[in-house]
Amino acid sequence: MSQRIILITGANGTLGRAMAQVFLTESPDDVVWLGVHRRREHADALAAANPARCRVVTLDVTDAASWKAAVAGILAAHSRLDVLVNNAGTYDDALLAQMRPESWRDVLAVNLDGVFHGCQAVMPAMISQRGGRIVNIASLSAMFSPAGQTNYSAAKAGVVALTRSLAKEVARLGITVNAVCPGYVDTEALAGMDAAARQRALSQIPMRRFGRPEEVAEAVRFLACAQAGYITGSALKIDGGIF
Amino acid sequence: MSDSSELKAQIKRMLVENLMLQVTPDQIGDDQPLFGPGGLGLDSVDALQLVVALEKNYGLKIPDPELARTILKDVNSIAAAVTLHSPQTG
Repeated sequence: MSQRIILITGANGTLGRAMAQVFLTESPDDVVWLGVHRRREHADALAAANPARCRVVTLDVTDAASWKAAVAGILAAHSRLDVLVNNAGTYDDALLAQMRPESWRDVLAVNLDGVFHGCQAVMPAMISQRGGRIVNIASLSAMFSPAGQTNYSAAKAGVVALTRSLAKEVARLGITVNAVCPGYVDTEALAGMDAAARQRALSQIPMRRFGRPEEVAEAVRFLACAQAGYITGSALKIDGGIF
Repeated sequence: MSDSSELKAQIKRMLVENLMLQVTPDQIGDDQPLFGPGGLGLDSVDALQLVVALEKNYGLKIPDPELARTILKDVNSIAAAVTLHSPQTG
């Protein structure tokens, strides 16, 4: 099959747009759906620039009904869904002793529940197709959990565990499930750090530079391609050598 | 062949094709358990595929695991559920 139907959540952000751009540029037949929630201006611009192959769909990843509607819309348009990239994420750092319970719940809801709902929503179509690719965007925080990120680290570690468990469940159905674990990547989150914090982060990275969104996007593109058909249940670190 | 027999034959073909079973449809008994000892040896992933195939082929939705256990007992029970869902096929 030359044309694949791809859904990327959190597609208004830097990382999501980079992934969409990589698919659009390197796989000329792919159709990319950009899942957006509260903000959509960048996704709308990307879709406007690629009207034949890029569309925007409203999707609250924390809401199973929203997933159902979004996936139904994609299936109505194409009768298939080949790739899901669960990229939507959020963070709200605080020391646990001072963390608001809603901060814990919100971060878990978007980062972990969202992946659960997404995988569940696309599963009937992928089972029916006897094939599919799911790529979950986890984080280096799943493995090296910094102070102040109990909520985010727990959620992302959960994503990695979910990825491994689901990969076993659906391996023989031709569906692969993998995670990528970006370290410090030049996105909105990094831009929000002050200069001293950025310098401290840089000093931990053997390559002495932050990752580029395109470098994460290329890994996602590979895990989603046909040639990656024997890779499943993996959690790929993309972090400039931190370990 | 009666409508009921034809439906059961369809279901057996669906089982073999969707689950890539190493038996022919004729070798599956109407009351042969699909799961467990003495049965076809299906597992929970096979059940997942069957649930999706039944919805796709017959519009039969099986929303919860408890109901799935009842309906997916054997070919007879699947045929009964399909017939109940779509009386015209029975």
